[in-house]
Amino acid sequence: MDKISDYILKAGTIDRRWIFLIIGLAVLLPLFFPLGLPIRATNATQKVYDAVEALEENSKVLVSFEYGPSTKPEIHPMAIGLLRHLFTNGHKVFVTCLWPDGQFMADEALDEVAKEEFDLTYGEDYVILGFRPGNEAVVKGMVSNIRKLYTTDARGTLVDNIPLMKNINKVADFDFIFSASAGYPGTVEWVQYASDPTGVPLSTGTTSIMVNDIMPMVNSGQVKGILAGMPGAAEYEALIGTPGIGTSGMDAQSIAHLVIVLFIIFGNITYFIETQRSKKY
Amino acid sequence: MIGPWIAAFLTLAIFSYLYKDNPFYKVAEHLFVGISTGYWTSMFFWTQIQPNLFGRLWPATEYNSDLLWYKFYNLLGVFSSVFPDGGINKGHHMELLYLLPFALGIMMLLSVSSKLSWMARWGIAYTVGMAAGLRAYGFLNSNVLGQIKGSAFQIFNSDLPFFALASESIFNNFIILIGTITGLMYFYFSREHTGNFGKLSKLGIYFLMISFGASFGFAVMGRISLLIGRFVDLITYSGSAHNHATLWLLLAMILLLGYSAFTDKNNTSKDEPTIEK
Amino acid sequence: MIWKRQIPILIATVIGFATLFGWFIDHPGIESFVNDDATQWYDILASFAIFLGALNLMKLQGKKVFKQQSGWQYSIFAIGGFFFAIVAGFIYKGNDAVEWGVHVTSKGTLFKWMFDYMFTPLSATMFALLAFFVASASYRAFRVRNLEATLLLVSGIIIMVGRVPLGSSISSWFIMYLMVLIVSIAVNIKLKDKKITFSTFLGGVLIVTIWGSSLGWPIDQPGLFYLPILQDWIYNNPNVAGARAIMIGIGLGIFATSIRYILGIEKSYIGE
Repeated sequence: MDKISDYILKAGTIDRRWIFLIIGLAVLLPLFFPLGLPIRATNATQKVYDAVEALEENSKVLVSFEYGPSTKPEIHPMAIGLLRHLFTNGHKVFVTCLWPDGQFMADEALDEVAKEEFDLTYGEDYVILGFRPGNEAVVKGMVSNIRKLYTTDARGTLVDNIPLMKNINKVADFDFIFSASAGYPGTVEWVQYASDPTGVPLSTGTTSIMVNDIMPMVNSGQVKGILAGMPGAAEYEALIGTPGIGTSGMDAQSIAHLVIVLFIIFGNITYFIETQRSKKY
Repeated sequence: MIGPWIAAFLTLAIFSYLYKDNPFYKVAEHLFVGISTGYWTSMFFWTQIQPNLFGRLWPATEYNSDLLWYKFYNLLGVFSSVFPDGGINKGHHMELLYLLPFALGIMMLLSVSSKLSWMARWGIAYTVGMAAGLRAYGFLNSNVLGQIKGSAFQIFNSDLPFFALASESIFNNFIILIGTITGLMYFYFSREHTGNFGKLSKLGIYFLMISFGASFGFAVMGRISLLIGRFVDLITYSGSAHNHATLWLLLAMILLLGYSAFTDKNNTSKDEPTIEK
Repeated sequence: MIWKRQIPILIATVIGFATLFGWFIDHPGIESFVNDDATQWYDILASFAIFLGALNLMKLQGKKVFKQQSGWQYSIFAIGGFFFAIVAGFIYKGNDAVEWGVHVTSKGTLFKWMFDYMFTPLSATMFALLAFFVASASYRAFRVRNLEATLLLVSGIIIMVGRVPLGSSISSWFIMYLMVLIVSIAVNIKLKDKKITFSTFLGGVLIVTIWGSSLGWPIDQPGLFYLPILQDWIYNNPNVAGARAIMIGIGLGIFATSIRYILGIEKSYIGE
């Protein structure tokens, strides 16, 4: 028994580079050898799906891209899933960005979904208004007068010349807002300065780290559901019946989590043995 | 052609930090600092300053080459990308009031010089005042009043079951209410946490710990997701379409770092003092 | 002195009051200024703040190279990277079909190439590195020292496993057997009696086995021990309570601090 305890204690002091290697393999191997574990949607994801399903046909939906390449693996899959859902249901999409790199993400997502998959027309079915700096001041500006903030869209076309922008003057003219958010500015600013004051319903998809900051707002009804990180994206893909990049990462996510939980348990066993020995001596 | 090789190199260079701090990582880190600074500068200039500031000072809609103001603009036409012929066409009318933020902005830039560093205070004061005004209302309305409203529920609502694991119930609403109030009690430091107040604030800590544990779980989830994203890109760049860039670069880095570790080890053993018999 | 102290405080106070009361005043002129122009000025100044940051960075890196301070060779890469981004942003478009201004967000430009093959891998990988350090920290630092730490750890583990597809594949009966094992270990530590420990363990196993057999071993019943349902309950109830308390506390703090800035009591932005 003492020998086993000695081995466990020795394992507790291994060079952290071995831990890095184990985690690296835990993430890499399932990408090559997928397990195909089933995905079950949570209540929070279901609320987002239901909110989009409840929209009347031809609804005007404002989708805000506030994430960049550093958080793309988590949020891009849910943005693509949402766009697929909106275009399948025949809604009109208006894209804005509170982060500069959000515009690149929006271009990529719309090229993939609107252009290649659904063959939609820019300016009639969807429009990218683009990025404006100013954080919450931009949201406030949009609530009051979009056309003062956006005189041109992201491609340099005057907004007055875009057919889809007819009768769109402020945020209250939209039927639904979705914020794909990785931090500040993001969901909180949309809730504080747009959704709460105007009453336009809002859903969101965020990085896993931000989820706990938004959950109280989901619970109070200020936000209609939340897509939580890559698992949330995979759940949404399962609900709309189109597996995508979110789903393909879930096996690696599962194994990595299991490995980390085992690390925590093993680390605590080591701690327990150390404590018992120090009490003994 | 060269793009995927650069992307794979930079990704592997940053990951090489996991082995130890090394020149590959330092080069990638410094490149990141320089490129991101230039990226943000370009982005903010072309999406805000040029269209919304210069576009309001010299709009194409009111261009008149006889006016002194536009004669000055034509001189700036040396930088034709920023100041194109005929004024800046972004749909604005002339608003010379925007000379004020322009002046504040120039004052900000002049503060690079240590003698003129006080000049930035005016611009900063404007942004601070505006942010304070925006946030005072926003946070009070949504984060405080909105949340308090959300915590209120009907105790005697016959529509809700008393207990349900997967959906709303009276018991669950009670848990949220008690957790919120006791959690807030913990943050009330104007009174000592003793007696019954101490017991309730202790209960509040337990709720806060559960919340922190959930935050930790989500933080792990988020980081692993980002790692998956990078590995997916590296796997893409290891394909034949990109001439197996990842594999060649990985091999080169391993060889170079291994050689460096080997020579460091030899140098260390040579430097160790030898014991004379 | 008035230029360096009183005027900035006056600006912050006037603009702060105007923005705050702009939420409540129903005058079109004031509303239009506060909601439109004032916000545009804010955006413009935010942009100039970025340029100031860039100038300061280049000043520091340039000084390092000029004085050949430690690590100056790497600063050349920082300066080189910056100038490459400036060339891509202001000098060489790379796609003549795209106009200046729109080129920063259009395809086929040098700027987009830089974003795809340099900026994206660098920023994404910097964040992805943290996954390894989180794992290392979990192994070496996450210890069950008291009840609070235990609650944190248990809720973290339940969320981590319950939220991913793997959690849906773990039967609730496995969790119940695990609970029996943990309770038996706890009884052993507390009472240090082998007979009581063994009886607890055997009794627990028998109860779970009989219960499971009678129900036909459904994977998701009883719901309390099925990880996805359990994590959903924790996520939606006690977790929301704690997060809400923090949110309300922060909201009150931000309101108080904002009022202090507007009234000129807080002057940290001018260095006091």
